[in-house]
Amino acid sequence: MATQKHVFNVEMTCEGCSGAVTRVLNKLGDKVAKFDVDLAQKKVVIESALSSDELLETLKKTGKETTYVGQEN
Amino acid sequence: GSRVSVTIHVEGMTCSSCVHSIEGRISTFDGVHNISVSLDKKEARVQFDPRRTTAEQLREGIEDMGFDATLPTNFV
Repeated sequence: MATQKHVFNVEMTCEGCSGAVTRVLNKLGDKVAKFDVDLAQKKVVIESALSSDELLETLKKTGKETTYVGQEN
Repeated sequence: GSRVSVTIHVEGMTCSSCVHSIEGRISTFDGVHNISVSLDKKEARVQFDPRRTTAEQLREGIEDMGFDATLPTNFV
């Protein structure tokens, strides 16, 4: 399965926020190969075969301001 | 309309930003009249119209946002 690294900016202000992001991503299970939530930089990097739109929808469920930055190699 | 009130226990909120996210999102759900979330008590009090939504749907809404949400055991 071909995966790509997508970078998002998520308006996280505390560990509760980053924890919430972690949990919604965990719920995707196998569809996400790897992810990294960086609270200090308000950045989330996700390695997945899902499209950036699908990932954006998932992140937006947390109710936080989310923007797609782009792909990373 | 008719309204029912439920207090949902929410784990995982650590700051007022979490509280605002939940209030902001759940208040847009169909059938929700009013929601107030307490960080200290770790709970969300929701007033809703039982003909348009259910306590379980509200619980799932909070769960979807990445928090642990449980309905009171005595809730019917």
